[in-house]
Amino acid sequence: MTYSPPDSATFIERVAADPCCAAITADEYLDAALASRAPVIFILRGNGLTLGSVVRRIHAANKLVAVHVDLVGGLRADRASVSWLAGSGVDAVISSHGQLMAAIRHEHMTAIHRLLLGRRSQLDSAVSAIGHSAPNIVEILPGVILPSVVGMMPRFDVPVLAGGFIRTAADVQAVLAAGALGVTTSSQALWGVA
Amino acid sequence: MTPDLGPAVLPSVLIVSDGRHSVYPPPGIDAGVLVRDTDLASLVHRANADDPPQAVDIDSVAGLGGDDAAVDFVMGRLGIRIVLTRRPQLAARVAGHGGLGLVHVFAYDSTGMSRSLESHPGIANVGSVLSPGLVIVHLRPEELDRLPRPVVAYGLIDELDDARACGALADSIVVRPALAARLAASLVPA
Repeated sequence: MTYSPPDSATFIERVAADPCCAAITADEYLDAALASRAPVIFILRGNGLTLGSVVRRIHAANKLVAVHVDLVGGLRADRASVSWLAGSGVDAVISSHGQLMAAIRHEHMTAIHRLLLGRRSQLDSAVSAIGHSAPNIVEILPGVILPSVVGMMPRFDVPVLAGGFIRTAADVQAVLAAGALGVTTSSQALWGVA
Repeated sequence: MTPDLGPAVLPSVLIVSDGRHSVYPPPGIDAGVLVRDTDLASLVHRANADDPPQAVDIDSVAGLGGDDAAVDFVMGRLGIRIVLTRRPQLAARVAGHGGLGLVHVFAYDSTGMSRSLESHPGIANVGSVLSPGLVIVHLRPEELDRLPRPVVAYGLIDELDDARACGALADSIVVRPALAARLAASLVPA
């Protein structure tokens, strides 16, 4: 039977209800993520060619799975790899490549456009890129500085996730107060923190 | 061969300039000028003006290559002693010429920062440009210790309080002219 991922609205509702998502950079962290309250597990490393069993375990734990196509091994960030991930049962795909967002949506997965905040002068071009790519979600890194820079940020028409250096409950609260839908964090103590 | 201009001295505050207009550091703070996002002709013009810059973000200069010849030109012909770059080998060449090379360390998350540090040359007179600089206040002490000194906090420092907080941890911060003026004014006794 072919797996059908939830639509992006459902994905967003899951995160909104439980905003601390687990970001894992190695297989050894999967068990802890599965045991946590985190609604979504973000896979940021590992082998993108052998994800099937991992995805099935995540779904069996009633969680959703998002994969960063730019960072996992074995895959090139292009339309074919997006199709591969869809076939592996992935619910959402993250990428810094805006041109992939349409392909991700076409495969009925949630499209997450990662935006790296380096300098203020880059914000305008980033806004333009988001406007063209039309993702379902924007993920901002480093998310921990979101409360400090929210005043210079444009308003996006889609929800914002924050990731990067978010390591305490206070960080989470500050980021959510700044308007983020949720956070992605590798700090296990925060996985599933309400 | 580059002329001996003496050791490179990193100011506590680097004020950004696009190289097309004069930027004068305000009195009262230890500040210099960093040229970025410019083109080669503007950089040459600025370097030959009466207010030459102390530093250049060499990767952001349109028309300038990312190779040894570019470093030799910037240092030997233009006399700029502090060079920021993404390329570790260029920073090492700057250091070899007696200047200060500063390699960008991209700190968008902890894993990425560690990977970025892996390519740092780790030699004398090659420091770090922490990007974005504002994140420095969120680093753990051991993460800060891993950054080869001197450390320049570069990016998204737009508020006075942020500038002070970042300046307390970094050897230098990169700010816009208006914030540099506010920093200087804040140090003037009421």
